[in-house]
Amino acid sequence: MTVPIEYYVLLSMAVFCIGLFGVLTRRNALMFLMSVELMLNAANINLIAFAFYHGNVTGQVFALFTMALAAAEVAVGLGIILVLYRNFRDVDVTVPSAMRW
Amino acid sequence: MESAFEFAPAIALFPLAAFVIALLFGRQLPKRGALVGIVATGASLVFSLWAALAVATVGSHREPLFEWAVGEPTSETGVEGIEFTFGILLDPLSTLMLVIVSLIALLVHVFSLGYMNAEGETGLPRYYAELGLFTFSMLAFVFADNLLMAFIFFELVGLCSYLLIGFWFRTESAPSAAKKAFLVTRFGDYFFLLGVVAIAATFGTLGFAGEGSFVEAAGEAIDAGESLFGVDPELWVTITGLLVLGGVIGKSAQFPLHTWLPDAMEGPTTVSALIHAATMVAAGVYLVARMFGYYALSPTALAVIAFVGAFTALFAATMGVVKDDIKQVLAYSTISQYGYMMLGLGVGGYVAGVFHLMNHAFFKALLFLGAGSVIVLAHHKQDMWEMGGLKSKAPVTYYTFLAGALALAGIIPFSGFWSKDEILYDALIVGIEQPVFLLAYAMALLAVFFTGFYTFRMVFLTFHGEPRSDAVRDPHPVGLSIKLPLVVLGVLAVVAGVANLAPVAKLTGLEITFLEGWLEGGIGEASYLAYSGAVFEGAEAVYATGVIGTESTTVLVAAGVSLLLAFSGAGAAWRLYGVPEPVRHTESLGGAYRLLRANYYQDEYQVWLASGFTLPLARAADRFDQGVIDGVVNGVSSVSLFGSGRLKRLQTGIVTNYAALLVLGFLALLVALGVHGGWFL
Repeated sequence: MTVPIEYYVLLSMAVFCIGLFGVLTRRNALMFLMSVELMLNAANINLIAFAFYHGNVTGQVFALFTMALAAAEVAVGLGIILVLYRNFRDVDVTVPSAMRW
Repeated sequence: MESAFEFAPAIALFPLAAFVIALLFGRQLPKRGALVGIVATGASLVFSLWAALAVATVGSHREPLFEWAVGEPTSETGVEGIEFTFGILLDPLSTLMLVIVSLIALLVHVFSLGYMNAEGETGLPRYYAELGLFTFSMLAFVFADNLLMAFIFFELVGLCSYLLIGFWFRTESAPSAAKKAFLVTRFGDYFFLLGVVAIAATFGTLGFAGEGSFVEAAGEAIDAGESLFGVDPELWVTITGLLVLGGVIGKSAQFPLHTWLPDAMEGPTTVSALIHAATMVAAGVYLVARMFGYYALSPTALAVIAFVGAFTALFAATMGVVKDDIKQVLAYSTISQYGYMMLGLGVGGYVAGVFHLMNHAFFKALLFLGAGSVIVLAHHKQDMWEMGGLKSKAPVTYYTFLAGALALAGIIPFSGFWSKDEILYDALIVGIEQPVFLLAYAMALLAVFFTGFYTFRMVFLTFHGEPRSDAVRDPHPVGLSIKLPLVVLGVLAVVAGVANLAPVAKLTGLEITFLEGWLEGGIGEASYLAYSGAVFEGAEAVYATGVIGTESTTVLVAAGVSLLLAFSGAGAAWRLYGVPEPVRHTESLGGAYRLLRANYYQDEYQVWLASGFTLPLARAADRFDQGVIDGVVNGVSSVSLFGSGRLKRLQTGIVTNYAALLVLGFLALLVALGVHGGWFL
């Protein structure tokens, strides 16, 4: 028995909205990063669900790419967070606001 | 004889070599480069004579030497790609001019030994180098076989005269005179350049003569009646011809671009002799003669040439009457005489115009070198009122100068009479049938009187009477290098008329019009035979000619009237100034005297044109440029600067805000797309 596609879409939408909410409200950089991961994985769910639904593997391949990308992103993001902490003794993303005009 | 043609480029290259040698090694050379120049111009003269002899025996010769660009066939009538070349054209006209130019240049170099070297001038290597370059440019201009090459060397001639007029560049007046000469002639040359481009674009060829010349192409276009650039071919030939004429008017100092020539007297007198007789000023009239076949296709252009010439002849002659500086008098006489040549060419008197060009080269070089000798004698005084009584103290200068003056005044049997009379005769016979040309004839005739007057006023004031200053009571002696060129030119001024005794030939039926016979040869349509056929014969003749009674009476009447006027002018000068203590009679002319002294306010109005008209116009254009064109550009930048100054407040530096903006923007885009795509209906 198969799960209808609507459930997958609803699940991914929920995960995405949780991630979006995290990005917009959290101040802790680590939480921020985790929220971004959630949004990426919401997209992954969609990709795989529709790939399964259509019966080809293109979407799965894309999901793999996304995971690689997410890993790279985390590596860079954690690096940034380390530097952030070293400079500000804090990982609050609203504190460093000098990077503007 | 054929080999003369192979060596022909050397005619111009000798002076070029002299230029290089004098420039690089002039300081070490004996006489500071004068001898190099003399040898080079002497060699040019020999090779020119050889080339002329070859033309006489073998015939004319045209040869491209160097091709520097080939263009696409985009011209109006030409079918082949246009070629830009350097080439030589040796025909009767060009070889005659080569001989004249190299002879005058040689004599000027010799004279310079006495005039410049003996006076201990500084900068002599520069002087001789520039003389060499000047001679080179003119010789190359003369044997140019196409209009573009002619234009290039025409410009080079202008540059050299600029350099030489400004030779004494430490004085105040010489550099300004040089600048004036350069700018005024450049103004004319601007039109010349337009003409060259127009002719090249129309006919796809720039050759003067022979197969594939623009003259031939223009004739064919007119015969075929095809329209050129949407206008009648004859009108187009007139337009392009008049554009080229702009350069001629500038160089040959015709009204209204004559103002530079009197100022050019600031240069050394030898340079004036070269400029007036053989090079710079002669280049303009020579160009008209060179492309006479082209002008012969357009009656309008010929009439313009005739009237510009006649008016200039009279206009300049009247100004010459009141000048006190001996060189100034000669300068105005040059303008006037070139006016005669233009008149002669304009009424179809090709031989007459070229004949006067030749005679004028001899007697004007003689007069200028004579004036140079007088200036040496008078310890570098040029005001004729400080001279007088030089006749007995400097007989060689006096008698040669007198020969030149008689030729200039047109007194029989000196050379100037024969050529000037022929021009007047040609104007008269055309005027009998087309009365409008009688006006040109009348102006030229009146100028004869003034010419006689100012010429002999100059002679009497300079040589006769009592000495009027200490300088001429004890004249500085002149050497052989001064006397020799004067004697050579003096003989030529007396006998050169023999070349074409047209009135005598017409009266007696003898075949003694040698110059006419010489000019009848040539390549293709570029010969006197073709020209006279185009202008006077056939159904499409430009001019009809008439006679008073018979041809003989016309000849006698024309010669008689001009001689009478010349004698009365000379006689009036004799009565007024041929006395021991002459007084300034011209000052009693009152308002006319002031008008003539001020040169008809020509300089003033031209300066006004520059400062009162062109300058405000340029200012307005500048304001438009700065205000409107730059204003738009600057406005765009300041609007974006101002706008982004406000807009940058959006950036807070806080990542969360950016993320919110991103999401909001995405949502807005989604809503907009939805509304546009009709999702909500």
